[in-house]
Amino acid sequence: MALNVVVCLKQIPNPDLQFQISTDGKDIRRDSLNYKLNAADEYALEEAVRIKEKHGGRVVALTLGPKRTEQMLREALAKGADEAVRIAYDDPSAFDVGKNARILAAAIRTLPHDLVLTGVQSDDYVNSATGGLLAGILGLPHASVVTRVVVQERQLEVACELEGGLQRVYSIPLPALLTIQFGANTPRYAPLPAIMKAARQPIKELAPSALGLNGWDAVALPYSFGVRGLSPPAAKGHAEMITGSVEEQAKRLAQVLRDKGFVRR
Amino acid sequence: MSGGVLLIAEHLEGRVAPSTPELITTGRRLAAAFGGDERDARIVVLGSGVRDLANHLAGYTLDVLLVDHPALAEYTGDGYVQALRGIVESTAPRVVLVAHTSQGYDFAPALAGVMDLPLVTNCLALDVEGDRLIATRRLLNEKVQAQVEIRSERPIVVTVRPGAEKPVGPSRGTMTVTDVPVSIDPSAVREKFVRLERPQIHDIDLSGADIIVSAGRGIQKKENLVLIEEFAKAIGGVVGASRPLTDMDWLPKTRQVGQSGKTVRPKLYVACGISGAMQHVAGMKDAGLIVAINTDPTAPIFEIAHVGFVADVLKLLAATLKELKR
Repeated sequence: MALNVVVCLKQIPNPDLQFQISTDGKDIRRDSLNYKLNAADEYALEEAVRIKEKHGGRVVALTLGPKRTEQMLREALAKGADEAVRIAYDDPSAFDVGKNARILAAAIRTLPHDLVLTGVQSDDYVNSATGGLLAGILGLPHASVVTRVVVQERQLEVACELEGGLQRVYSIPLPALLTIQFGANTPRYAPLPAIMKAARQPIKELAPSALGLNGWDAVALPYSFGVRGLSPPAAKGHAEMITGSVEEQAKRLAQVLRDKGFVRR
Repeated sequence: MSGGVLLIAEHLEGRVAPSTPELITTGRRLAAAFGGDERDARIVVLGSGVRDLANHLAGYTLDVLLVDHPALAEYTGDGYVQALRGIVESTAPRVVLVAHTSQGYDFAPALAGVMDLPLVTNCLALDVEGDRLIATRRLLNEKVQAQVEIRSERPIVVTVRPGAEKPVGPSRGTMTVTDVPVSIDPSAVREKFVRLERPQIHDIDLSGADIIVSAGRGIQKKENLVLIEEFAKAIGGVVGASRPLTDMDWLPKTRQVGQSGKTVRPKLYVACGISGAMQHVAGMKDAGLIVAINTDPTAPIFEIAHVGFVADVLKLLAATLKELKR
């Protein structure tokens, strides 16, 4: 059975880097950041493409973000998405997950969707909220932290990871929403011809009017949200740091291990 | 009674999750911060045949609201959202508190979506200022702390990171358990529970090890595990890993330390090229001696380590092996 799959992707600053706080204290400095596709979303994208390859259908890669996100959408096209849609919400920080989800939900309503996938979390804001919010807003049954998906006619069998390595298995009717866990599959690399082709593919852009809104400020929210400030975290404690050349550090490490009785002699 | 805080207990197979007593601490403090008594926090227990568990939780000296219904025998997102919707509508709390666990962040955002409620997740600390809820969160691999504020007439759904608060123990005396009549339509529970799967262990059990040398993405290549193995052997330890390594199948899943893997308490834990994401730290922070090696001086692992080395882990371990052979 062919499936229309919408996979929500987020472009995030590479979290392995170091960050500085902007002068107003309300955002990180974004002038020289290296952006990438959020890691969990890579698994969601791969799962979407595998489902299409096995059962037929289409994969639409959907994002919310400024123009720079087009690069990520092209990567998704090169890896097997059939169509890319960018919601032209240009707030570079977009801290309010509730607002983001309401806009995404409005866009998903305009797309055929038997299955909506997101990553389990984004590594920048680590909310783990977008998928669940979307399911609630769109009225879809859902499952989170999914490590395995089997499509059976008009339903899915999914395994959801719990703490400590336990998994709950559910059967869920379509249409449905899943948040995909790290390691659910092995994401592919895009072949060069596909990268070349994706560079020429059009990316659909959704303005507020396409979602029936008079602007992004017109999104109806049952609350007001604000960022009070960002700061470097106050360290709970800190390791005693051993400096010096590698040889000096090695001597100290060996000494620590001996002193604490982890090495005989 | 309206206002106050509802906190949703988590349980599996008749046992209360470790995050629930922590959530009780948060709930009491928050109820007091709203200007009320800390007993304006109430514990919600959802399940089937869970009266004993509800009675046990009443020993934490907060009132317990119990929904005991066959449709809640196994956790499902729809079942929890239906039951909580009924309770939230009838009690109109200021805040609904949920632990930020796999189960918690499954139903909490869905509840917020279904009921059109404000939501803030994965919080380390909560405070109240006037009519605002202030949430402290960590972003970008723990490298940035953020304070956000939410103001709303409606109940705010909040998830709290496990480990953020000290758990309370039960105290003397007990409070009441009130059955809440909530109608649940089992046919509207669309996720059907099939089974619970347990990890198959055909490998060493990390949880009993005294010395663990764990590898993370910083070791760069699978081939470099040989060096980690050699180092572990030299100090009588076993090799563990952070999640990315087991995801890539460099090591079996049984070696994964962290929230979704093993929780360990060895005498010595050597973190090799592990940045120290919350998911990993939750599984090893109580080790006796934590030695961390990482090239990034801002890596959060150095916050919880006792001894830290900013170094290329491969070079440092090779050099240390030489030292140990002297």
